[in-house]
Amino acid sequence: MSQWERVQTNAQDRERIWSVPRTFAGDVWFRFRKKPTALAGFLIVVFLLCFAVFGPYLSPYGYSDQSRALANIPPILSVSDAPDGNYLYVTPALKVILIGRDGKLLGQLSKGKDDETLRRIAYTLDAQTEVYLDYSQKPAMILSAEGERTPASKQVWNTTYLLGTDQLGRDILTRLMYGARISLMVAFVAATINMVIGILYGGIAGFVGGRADAVMMRVVDIISTIPLTLYVILIKVTLDNGLLSIIIALSSVYWVDMARVVRGQVLSLKQQEFVLASRAIGSSNRTIMLTHLIPNAMGPILVTVTMLIPSAIFVEAFMSFIGIGIAPPMASLGTMCNDAMEALRSNPYQLFLPALVICLIMFAFNFVGDGLRDALDPKLKK
Amino acid sequence: MSERPLLRVTNLTKHFPVRGGGRRVVHAVDDVTFHIDRGTTFGLVGESGCGKSSCARTIIRIYDPTSGSVELDGQEIAACPARELMPMRRRMQMIFQDPYASLNARMTVRDIIAEPLNAHFAALSRAQADEMIFAMLEKVGLTREHANRYAHEFSGGQRQRVGIARALILRPDLVICDEPISALDVSIQAQIVNMLRDFQQELGLTYLFIAHDLSMVRYVSDHVGVMYLGQLVEMCAADEIYSHPLHPYTQGLLQSIPIPDPRLARLKTASGLEGDLPSPIDPPAGCRFHTRCPYAMAVCALEQPPLCEAAPGHCVACHLHTPRNCDAKSVSIE
Repeated sequence: MSQWERVQTNAQDRERIWSVPRTFAGDVWFRFRKKPTALAGFLIVVFLLCFAVFGPYLSPYGYSDQSRALANIPPILSVSDAPDGNYLYVTPALKVILIGRDGKLLGQLSKGKDDETLRRIAYTLDAQTEVYLDYSQKPAMILSAEGERTPASKQVWNTTYLLGTDQLGRDILTRLMYGARISLMVAFVAATINMVIGILYGGIAGFVGGRADAVMMRVVDIISTIPLTLYVILIKVTLDNGLLSIIIALSSVYWVDMARVVRGQVLSLKQQEFVLASRAIGSSNRTIMLTHLIPNAMGPILVTVTMLIPSAIFVEAFMSFIGIGIAPPMASLGTMCNDAMEALRSNPYQLFLPALVICLIMFAFNFVGDGLRDALDPKLKK
Repeated sequence: MSERPLLRVTNLTKHFPVRGGGRRVVHAVDDVTFHIDRGTTFGLVGESGCGKSSCARTIIRIYDPTSGSVELDGQEIAACPARELMPMRRRMQMIFQDPYASLNARMTVRDIIAEPLNAHFAALSRAQADEMIFAMLEKVGLTREHANRYAHEFSGGQRQRVGIARALILRPDLVICDEPISALDVSIQAQIVNMLRDFQQELGLTYLFIAHDLSMVRYVSDHVGVMYLGQLVEMCAADEIYSHPLHPYTQGLLQSIPIPDPRLARLKTASGLEGDLPSPIDPPAGCRFHTRCPYAMAVCALEQPPLCEAAPGHCVACHLHTPRNCDAKSVSIE
């Protein structure tokens, strides 16, 4: 008997497909999650979305709730011990704030006599006790019971305002949530509008081709030469609504990139045999466009959108920063940065926090776009 | 000619404008005339770039012809406006060359085969359509389990069968096969060709079969037409073209068929075709083949030979074989 035996095959086995059925989207997700940066970017985007959408409901403060007494309090406080066992925090403006042992802000001490010769201020802690703040030397320090300057000995986390307050005593964390909300809203509205206009315009130009295509693409060229800042300023003048004018300006300009991408895709796809087959079948132009051309151009379209989102976010932040965007008291990451500029030296956290969020959003979307581009490229298929 | 032929192509011409070339055009199809009787197969052969595919695509109106006429069962379709073309489209379908490019990768096999049904029978319910699709899948040797798969999961042969199912689901009269087997490997080629033959017998189909190798065309065709630079140069019954090729180009093509036996191959005396295909933008004056023809005469560069009947049922466009009383209009291959 021979060592090898012939395997019996039948017609059914020959025609069978052995691979697991996987849809196109499943295939893309499989490749996307293999890339750590893309996955990290995706998780950050999801986190930021939750932060922006649900955060404000969990926060006890509104974006415009002020408490002037507790303005400019940083997230991490350098404190000295108070006689009653709590902590005292001295602000750069020489106010003394009583901090609980758990880091809660208990309130501002009322100011007593200001001795200008000794350069010390008395603050009333309670009916019996007074504490003295010495400002003869910088930095100002609380005097101990023995009358000695005691430097701030402990660091506690501000548990009342987790990320501190701004110069009007508004909670920065809450304002960041609203700012991220504005940024993401601008991003998604601009992305959606650009996608719709760009796909329609570019799709029609590429599909019709010839002279119509040439005219339509020259219009695109003209639009893309006019600077965006100019649009925003002009629209803002007539509309008097920062958010709306930014969205309108972004939507009226940014679609040109999308239109170019879609047109190029359609031009090359319409020569493919499956589109010719569809013509031979007698399918309508609508069917060819919606079932053949656009789904096959979806890869580059998605990549363009995810690359467009960070630049839209940045434009919004920039416009708000230079003061032609979101109107106060509404928080936007750009206006928060701008507000922080006045007291940058004494309160740098007020600038770093919104800037950090802007970076995080842009990084995340760029990573997602990068990952999508690789995942959607069929040549990299393994 | 007792019966009206199913397809009659008369003086069909298709010129493509050259981008940035002003008035210059690519002579893709030039003055092509032939007809196909119902239930038969007409093979169209020629080198790559000679206009076979353009001819097929012009007949089925993927391209609009520059001039000439195409009659399907007596009805003119070459000049027909796109709107009135729909009932004619149902009667002719096409099978494409590349089974990887001709199926949309974003659609399931069910949706691919359903597209002709959706285009022509809007009233059809999904269940009815499914029934027809499953029946068609079984006919081409696939099962209903394959219906929800995407085209990229199939092998080349399976994909080409999906393409055949898409072409046949409307029960057309005429099927244009644009090199349906040249992208497949040899064992699959036979399978597909046999399947096409079985369908021809079962459904009474008429084929226009385009190929670039003559050996397969001989096997499937009743009549063969040879194209060179957009023109038909020879046309006769399939066996006749192998036994008595008249045009020097046909002879060259036949000589280029590889012989599987090296001892026999060594005996082959004449070489195949030499030189490259001239540009179809400005084709040579006179006979378009004279630049590569081993028998070229002075007249060949000056005068274009008409397609004439040199022997009964055998038409050729060559000065070597033009009979005195040639009348180009009475071309017939019966």
